[in-house]
Amino acid sequence: MTELVRLTDVIKVYQGGITGALNGVSLSIEQGEFTAVMGPSGSGKSTLLNLIAGLDRPTSGDVAVGGTDLGALGEAGLARFRRDHVGFVFQFFHLLPNLTALENVLIPAQLKGRESADTRGRKLLETLGIPEVAERYPAKLSGGQQQRVAIARALINNPTLLLADEPTGALDTHSGDQVMDLLAQLHREGQTILLVTHDAKLATRHAARVISVTDGKIVDDARLETTERSASDVVRVRSEETSR
Amino acid sequence: MSLKYGVLGLLAEEPLHGYEVKNRFETMLGGTWEVNIGQIYTTLQRLERDGLVRPVGARGDRGKLLYELSPSGRKALVSWLAQPDSGPQQLHEDIYVKLLLATRVANGGLPALLGRQKRAYLQRLRDLNQLEDRARRDGRNDLAQLIRGALLHTEADLKWVDELAADALGGKTE
Repeated sequence: MTELVRLTDVIKVYQGGITGALNGVSLSIEQGEFTAVMGPSGSGKSTLLNLIAGLDRPTSGDVAVGGTDLGALGEAGLARFRRDHVGFVFQFFHLLPNLTALENVLIPAQLKGRESADTRGRKLLETLGIPEVAERYPAKLSGGQQQRVAIARALINNPTLLLADEPTGALDTHSGDQVMDLLAQLHREGQTILLVTHDAKLATRHAARVISVTDGKIVDDARLETTERSASDVVRVRSEETSR
Repeated sequence: MSLKYGVLGLLAEEPLHGYEVKNRFETMLGGTWEVNIGQIYTTLQRLERDGLVRPVGARGDRGKLLYELSPSGRKALVSWLAQPDSGPQQLHEDIYVKLLLATRVANGGLPALLGRQKRAYLQRLRDLNQLEDRARRDGRNDLAQLIRGALLHTEADLKWVDELAADALGGKTE
């Protein structure tokens, strides 16, 4: 396995003491890993994701993705990095209301100057199970459909890293499960995924690695086993043994 | 207590002999409760003594005896099903006692204990998730719901350990 993300002694201080600061984080993520980052709100987990995405810069310390030191990039270089290497899925979709679903999907591709991305955009919507929404506007779509459009947009440039910040947070259980199943499918196909969530059930269902962040620090980095266990090794229904 | 009612419930479907009761009970529980045949026979004998089940016909091949539910057995089953579980909450796990002792014993190592317990809960959540998926794949939605209950319990345990860890941390920095 090759290392894809490396954070070294990363500190992020926000002026005015806004929560979400990072207080000395070092971390390595390998290609193909599905990693979950858990922590209470204000713990710094979203900050961690934003720094890896190149959406924000650390106060001190280094962030490297795919061997590129993000600190060495200027604003234009950082924007190029984001466009070419990172797909980002947010809790509230962030689709542009005046563009159709397909046009939203194509935004990053057009930034990259790909005229022929149209076919790929349609194909992605089809793969994600929503080919019929291509010409519709976001307001006409359900939450689950909007999030799938957002996933298609995140995938349009074949990102090396897919970052998802509470991607099911605004969805009902069923749509949330569908979105997570899609991410799991992408992971099986080799996609590296970093998921921020406060839901331990969700994290452990999909990620074999669970990182816990509290007060800007990594307090636990658990690699979980995936071996199939028999039911009796995992859960037992017990009752009083004697029946009279 | 619920082995007794488990047996009554299975006999409410059709008359069964001891081994069939054991097999069906274990299948229903999806491996989360294993019983030995001795417990089943003892239970059947007690239920017969109390008039809740009765043998059907004479002993057949290899001494097998079929049992069926009596009308009072059916009544007892229906009344049990209608009752909510209202007894005290059962905390079976050692962690509760370990926690109390770790705070009393010098060098009880509470933060390390909580850290290891958190790992154990995360692993259990992962195992339960896999078990739930398997149950759904096998078309056992009833079993998946039981496992879902276990998942939510473990999630609560995890939150509890996180709270304790935050408390321990807060105490240390003060």
